Amino acid sequence: MDSATGSSPSPELAAALHRLRSTLARVKAELELAESDEAESLPGRLLGDLNEALVLLQEVEQAAFGVVPVLVVDDDTRLGELTARGLRRLGYDADSTTALRDLRHKEIVVFDLGLAHGLDQSARTALKAARPIVVTGATDAASRALAASLDASDYLVKPVELDDLAKAITRRIEEG
Amino acid sequence: MTKLLVVDDEPRTAELTAALLRRAGYAVEIAVSGTEALASVRSSSPDLMLLDYEMPDMEAPEVLDSLRSGADRIAFPVIILTGARHAASDQVLGIERGATDYIVKGTDRQVLLARVRGALRDRAPETRLIASGRLRIDMASGEAWLGERPLKLERRPQLMLQLLAGRPGEVVGREELLERVWGTKYTGFEHSVEQAAHQIRRALKEPGWIETVRGLGYRFVAQP
Repeated sequence: MDSATGSSPSPELAAALHRLRSTLARVKAELELAESDEAESLPGRLLGDLNEALVLLQEVEQAAFGVVPVLVVDDDTRLGELTARGLRRLGYDADSTTALRDLRHKEIVVFDLGLAHGLDQSARTALKAARPIVVTGATDAASRALAASLDASDYLVKPVELDDLAKAITRRIEEG
Repeated sequence: MTKLLVVDDEPRTAELTAALLRRAGYAVEIAVSGTEALASVRSSSPDLMLLDYEMPDMEAPEVLDSLRSGADRIAFPVIILTGARHAASDQVLGIERGATDYIVKGTDRQVLLARVRGALRDRAPETRLIASGRLRIDMASGEAWLGERPLKLERRPQLMLQLLAGRPGEVVGREELLERVWGTKYTGFEHSVEQAAHQIRRALKEPGWIETVRGLGYRFVAQP
């Protein structure tokens, strides 16, 4: 299997990013603790700023190291978590949710077709734009049509092997 | 109470992570180096370790190797915390006996807590060999032995025993067994679960290991 991450970065860049992320993370943790002590609104605003900074940092990391963000959407929490964890072990920056959320920059979506009917118009539009990898328990024509209507880039039948999913993600990346 | 070990060479970072976890109800110990972490594991056997990847004395793969090899193979989930998004993953680290999961520092605490919960819940599949009294189960192949005697089990009873033994003392419901061993959410297969439990008991030739919890499911009870 191809590596999920890109070429080696310069050691200086990597070290600087380590330190930056560690420091940002520490400030964030301090604020999270302060926030749960129900202090004034300052922690809330600062947390917002920090989250924005961390998202930017993530985009830098994506660009610098070729890290691939993946979102696994499955209403079976446990299955979603297991899949995302498996992908993380393969080097993807994977996350799981039980409902579609706002997508990160260039995020690849693995979507359980069973959730297609619950999508509102804006979520459907966002999902189609992401050209999701669709995972389904059924192989009937209606399911295939539904997947096609979501502009799916791939169609995998459960139970999905992690290797097959990784291959589908690689194909999706190559499509651009 | 579930015991966690937080390992980070920056004491303030370790303290903060520990504080977040304590608020979630875990008992948390701290180690500030790989060496200290290994000592702490031996003295207090945690249920899960959160391990900083970048430490001056020992990097995470070394700590993992020490934990996962040797005579007293220690098999609990290890979540790697890293400040470097690109450095995470078994693949990049090239470690065979890998970590359970990875978290990039700065991830929301809800996500951190969810991953800790997930790793604790699914700890069995990450463990290569489960030993409970005289019973040993190779979690990779499913083979099981009582003492030196190999247990003859079909695939599904084998999977069921793995699942139950991986969570000793916990009642595992019929629905979950059906879903994870038989791959179905449909009822109507309950008798298959009963038959599999019967086959496990017959193979063990000893009562007590697999307890039926009426109306709920089954429980693995360690025997001497």
